[in-house]
Amino acid sequence: MVTCLGDLFYPDVGERIVRLLQRLDVTVEFPSGQTCCGLPLFNSGHHDEAARVARRTVDLFAGSEHVVVPSGSCAWMVKHEYPGLMTDAASRAAAEGLAARTSELSQFLVKVLGRRKFQSAVEGTVTYHDSCHLLRGLHESQSPRALLRELAGARFVELAGADECCGFGGSFSVRLPEVSTAILDKKLANVEASGAACVVACDAGCLMQMRGGLSRRGSRVRALHLAEVLDPDRDVQ
Amino acid sequence: MTSRAEFLGRIRAEMARTPGLFPATPSVRPARPRERLDVLRRELSERWAESLARFVGEFERVGGVFHRVARVAEVSDVIAAIAAEREMRKVVSWHPDALRLDLAGPLSGRGLEISTMPGGEVTAAERERLRGVAAAAELGVTGVDLAVAETGTLVVVSGAGRPRSTSLLPACHAAVFDRDVLVESLAQAGLVLEAWHEGSAADARGAAINFITGPSRTADIELTLTRGVHGPKEVHAVFVEDGLVGGARG
Amino acid sequence: MSDPDLATPFRERASRALGDAFLKEALTIATTKFITLRQEAFGDYPEGEELRDRARAIKEATLQHLDQHLERLIDNVERRGGHVHYANTAEDARRIVLDIARRSGARLAVKSKSMATEEIHLNEALEAAGVTPIETDLGEYIIQLAHERPSHIIAPAIHKTKGQVAELFARELKRETRPDPEMLTRIAREELREKFLQADLGITGANFAVAETGTVVLVTNEGNGRMATSLPRVHVAVMGVEKVVPSMTDLAVFLAILAKSATGQKLSVYTSLVDGPRRSGELEGPEEFHLVLLDNGRIKQIAGTLREALYCLRCGACLNVCPVYRQIGGHAYGYTYPGPIGILLTAMLEGPESVKDLAHASSLCGACADACPVRIDIPRMLIELRKEVVERRIAPWPERVVFGAFGWLLRHPALYRLSAPIARLLQRPFARGGRIPRLPLFFSDWTRTRDLPVVAARTFQERWAERERRR
Repeated sequence: MVTCLGDLFYPDVGERIVRLLQRLDVTVEFPSGQTCCGLPLFNSGHHDEAARVARRTVDLFAGSEHVVVPSGSCAWMVKHEYPGLMTDAASRAAAEGLAARTSELSQFLVKVLGRRKFQSAVEGTVTYHDSCHLLRGLHESQSPRALLRELAGARFVELAGADECCGFGGSFSVRLPEVSTAILDKKLANVEASGAACVVACDAGCLMQMRGGLSRRGSRVRALHLAEVLDPDRDVQ
Repeated sequence: MTSRAEFLGRIRAEMARTPGLFPATPSVRPARPRERLDVLRRELSERWAESLARFVGEFERVGGVFHRVARVAEVSDVIAAIAAEREMRKVVSWHPDALRLDLAGPLSGRGLEISTMPGGEVTAAERERLRGVAAAAELGVTGVDLAVAETGTLVVVSGAGRPRSTSLLPACHAAVFDRDVLVESLAQAGLVLEAWHEGSAADARGAAINFITGPSRTADIELTLTRGVHGPKEVHAVFVEDGLVGGARG
Repeated sequence: MSDPDLATPFRERASRALGDAFLKEALTIATTKFITLRQEAFGDYPEGEELRDRARAIKEATLQHLDQHLERLIDNVERRGGHVHYANTAEDARRIVLDIARRSGARLAVKSKSMATEEIHLNEALEAAGVTPIETDLGEYIIQLAHERPSHIIAPAIHKTKGQVAELFARELKRETRPDPEMLTRIAREELREKFLQADLGITGANFAVAETGTVVLVTNEGNGRMATSLPRVHVAVMGVEKVVPSMTDLAVFLAILAKSATGQKLSVYTSLVDGPRRSGELEGPEEFHLVLLDNGRIKQIAGTLREALYCLRCGACLNVCPVYRQIGGHAYGYTYPGPIGILLTAMLEGPESVKDLAHASSLCGACADACPVRIDIPRMLIELRKEVVERRIAPWPERVVFGAFGWLLRHPALYRLSAPIARLLQRPFARGGRIPRLPLFFSDWTRTRDLPVVAARTFQERWAERERRR
């Protein structure tokens, strides 16, 4: 599942994931006709709309053995909310089936494929921001850290306040932009204080928010997706 | 005005519309709390030293001052010392039946003004006067009905001869206790509370049970901790190894 | 009056709060401290997680037999000589308390901290009826003197500097002192000690009421709860119906986690269990005890979407971890209860219309649900409120149209895919070096403080489709 933000704004991330997985001998398919998981609709209270989108997505991935999602929030939407949005037993069962087959990227690499060690595509120090849906929705804080700690060719440091929100929150970032920015400023102050060359996240929303703030302040620190630090073309040196 | 029936009727109507969010039951209560408590006390009496050690650690952590004496006769010395160190003269104390020791006698002639609270009902005028005495007192001496080791808490039950004000109005509170009142945990304190209310047990005592965990405090101004806001600024606990009058070993 | 004008949009109130440098610093220090203390307390307490589960279960179980537990509570309170009153609305509750004050000839009332009495706006009503209410919790006393509302559920004066408090005491009490918390506390102790001793009426809330025994439980640190329930002739406790707990055994579970969640203390300094009026032989204690059971929107939620919010212990843990609260503080929310749970309680008390903006005062990060001692799923209910606002057409129609259109587009992939080339065209005048530093209209709010990414020259789907075509 490429996700709407991933498709439109970060297609490189999607391509790197495909190469990475293929290098790990995973057969990668891409069901066409993907749009969005519907989370923005759900979070804003438009549940009928969200349910229609969910139903379509469940059908789209009906034949997939496993679904890998580069964003924690989209993975959460599918795994956590899709079943409850369905109004009949058959759809609910199908949604539960999809939920069981879906993982966020780091979960897929570490828990499904059992792979932790990768060559780093960046140099220097990396730090990690826990995106809220991955951390608290999917209870996942270990898989991304395992991958980052074992990166060959880069050093990992913990970020102060790693588990604090970056202020994106979807439409929150444009409904309350001043508050969203104040929250972001706190996050970025921590990022810069960490001394890391880049901050890694497993969510396109967090990346859009953090990258947007870092580039506005002319920072040399980069905000990267996990897939941008795992080298898809080289083995561990 | 809304009646009981109307009010509860509305609640019942709403309750009928939903089974709730998930199956749930309240805590399992002991069928015969007093019996359970007797058994617990026997068990606890074997490890009172550990409970005491834990109590002391927690009590001191919340700012309490702990004293230990071997015999009940030594308690008055500790009280006199506390008063002397703080240049306090006015002492108010529970009635000796509630305190389980005689304080007024041993403390007389030491330059202290001791007011012992009466053991029974008094006139309204006398109550007013005694309130003034308690408000003017600098040191209040009480017993302890329960000491909870887990949290360093002293529990006092009100009633005749054991007024609430003694542990509340004076700036310094000293509480005297022995091993019989020690329990280890809040859960055990829950059992004690059940036992204290079993049947008509509650009728024989006052209407207030107070858990006291250290001196009165606040951090309402810039999160700076200050003590003695309304209640006492200092809390002392005096432990009597040999036990108080009328106890298991007393 | 520091009460923000509710006619000012929430966004503006929030932005104003963001501009208050002292508030920001006070909030950061206070919330960070509370978070650390809570983490340490639970870190040291392995039983804590299981007790939180049990506490949640007790709350749910109590609601499932709420009528029985309340009947038992009422019977026991009355058996001990207390009186029970039933308030459907805030106005009913005010009327009941005023009645009690009038019948007992009270002129001076001392109040222990009670969010329930804040909620029903009791103080104004008492003053209007010639009864002087004195807040005795130091934080509440300070804001009462300042004519403000509390900005945090358990630390109401968190937004005030010691300098401001010293000025306040000098102005309102004619007591001059250095801005030293120790000295200021001493002044408050002296001033309020007099009031406690003179007051005719003690008004409190109740953290819990034990049904099995008819006991009202007050959790405080200062001792004002003990004073207010022991010295005046009459004691009135105002309590939301959801505060009842079945037994003392249940109470012990809550006591074990409440103070830890609120301030990191194992127990607050005073936990006072009050069994009604003074008994024979007691020197202190009220002659009369009144328990006012308060509905004010709670009963409707028993079968409503906010049922889980009825578990709330009013500990404030969710405020301390909320990224929004931590930035804007309590006043900006505009109602009695701020923070994550505050939004839910506001909806409960004032209806969904009141939270059409507040329901969006959250990034749905979930830190509140994590911190809540009884594991209330606040984000889920915030989404439910947003849903209600949409379904009841309280949300502005342009928003409903846009989201409706968006939803439609997501189900028509060919048209959805057209959005990329259209966006690429539209963004051309704004793109600078792979970023968009400024956009007009809808996204201008974003670009005021952040860059936007450009829509990629070729989206993932376009690249994949091309690859497939080549094969």
